[in-house]
Amino acid sequence: MSTEKKPMEWGTRVGVILAVSGSAVGLGNFLRFPGQAASHGGGAFMIPYICALLFLALPIGWAEWAMARHGGTKGFHNGAAILGVCGRGKIARYFGVLAILIPMVVYMYYVYIEAWCLRYAWEYLTGGVQLTGSIGEQVKEAGTFFGHATGTSTNGVLNMSVVFWMIVVALNIALVYRGLKGGIEKFCQFALPAMAFLAVIVLVRVLTLGTPDPTHPGQNVLNGLGYLWNPDFSKLTDFETWLAAAGQIFFSLSVGFGVILNYASYLKKKDDVALSGLTASATNELFEVGFGGLITITAAFVFLGASGIVGTSTFGLGFQTLPVVFHQMGVLGPWIGFSWFFLLFLAAITSSISMLQPVKTFFEEALGITHGKAIALTSLVCGVGSFWVIWFSKNTMALDTMDFWVGTFCIFLLATVQIICFGWVWGTEKGMLELDQGALIKVPRIFMFIMKWVAPVYLLVVLIGFSYSQLPGKLRDIANNPIELWTVVIIVATLLLLVAVLAVGERRWRAAGLDLDGETS
Amino acid sequence: MNAWGWLFMLVSLALVWVTTIWAYCRLLGAPRENSNDQS
Repeated sequence: MSTEKKPMEWGTRVGVILAVSGSAVGLGNFLRFPGQAASHGGGAFMIPYICALLFLALPIGWAEWAMARHGGTKGFHNGAAILGVCGRGKIARYFGVLAILIPMVVYMYYVYIEAWCLRYAWEYLTGGVQLTGSIGEQVKEAGTFFGHATGTSTNGVLNMSVVFWMIVVALNIALVYRGLKGGIEKFCQFALPAMAFLAVIVLVRVLTLGTPDPTHPGQNVLNGLGYLWNPDFSKLTDFETWLAAAGQIFFSLSVGFGVILNYASYLKKKDDVALSGLTASATNELFEVGFGGLITITAAFVFLGASGIVGTSTFGLGFQTLPVVFHQMGVLGPWIGFSWFFLLFLAAITSSISMLQPVKTFFEEALGITHGKAIALTSLVCGVGSFWVIWFSKNTMALDTMDFWVGTFCIFLLATVQIICFGWVWGTEKGMLELDQGALIKVPRIFMFIMKWVAPVYLLVVLIGFSYSQLPGKLRDIANNPIELWTVVIIVATLLLLVAVLAVGERRWRAAGLDLDGETS
Repeated sequence: MNAWGWLFMLVSLALVWVTTIWAYCRLLGAPRENSNDQS
């Protein structure tokens, strides 16, 4: 189908797992998870979190790996066509456009945040982050620095952050252009171990902070860990806690994102998907719970106390609170700051390349264009959207709008479509047979029941609960704010473009005699 | 940190570390026929 001579493929078994793990491990592991846990019951948050992992993320992830490999054997590597095969027809295929829309739109704002991380790492390396005065004044200075460095203090600012954005975009394009084996896999084989190394450096420093300020003996490492991990069981009766846990798991593991559908489609029929899916999830959880759960909140608590954390946003915690913390670390501070932001940059870029790849593949397969032309088209559309996010960056308004409608709502929607396709259209029996093919572990049969009944019901409850609690407010925001309205218009325009491209692709695939409705097993 | 905090933290950390190490050991110790390793 593709016009390139050599088919895309992964080089090694571990390579594909590191690529999927790299896609999953991102800013959410280090910044979002600790914030969510601390504000939703601390240690008690782990109960709904593990439930969401076992009954939602893991089964849906396995379903994605299995459907992707099956679709790949039919000659498809794009999420829309793969869901068309497993969902047996047009409806699933057109819902499958979400598997292209989500990585595409998330890339538009994610690459901007990635540029912030690179800029902060650079500033720490060159001594550009200078904070003075009392802690309160430093927090204020860090806020001003954040606004200046990222351009989020006002709309229409194109400053140095755009230069870093261009560097980051060029890096992403270059890595995807080099292909799966030579670009994405090779980079992730370097980036994941490097991330683990940097995370260990920062973790060791944080856990050895002791009680840095004798005038505040309560602000020590143990109390910092307690701030995050001491459970508040009363939060378990709050539906919001369960919603937050499910949202965090989805955001973190890249399920319902369209990435696994693309990456796993390049596996061969005899390759394992069962253990690979589990390993990629475990790697992500190691970074999230093992590193994210120990570093961020603990460090902030030790220097700033609980009052320095309460009410702080994810970006506020990462880009405004932590620079103050690093400043208190003395001579090692800039190096720990550099390690931290370079770690975030690596986490971000391994995720952003995984967002470009499914979009590129979709254009390539649907329009029958070359690898290079598909990358150019992807870069053009994503670049326009990303520029919109940068231009309307005040209070990250365009970014937040895209994150809510696509990075959160559409992910729940796509996950629901996927698990219904897997459990009810394709069938759990066939799905399990596919999972067992070449498997290095046997997936327990209880997961047939979970995939058919528990996951769809759990997901529908989450989707309905989320819609009930969030949508009315968000719809009011759109009506009252023109930037939010036009951001939604851009999302809808992107969706329509993808639907049109899919229609072209459908005609081409039918003409080529491909089994796009999954009529043969 | 109270006793419950220790319990939740240590159990969570043990779960993620043990699962990850077990999974990679299983994966790397598997026969090469099932993979497309080229080296």
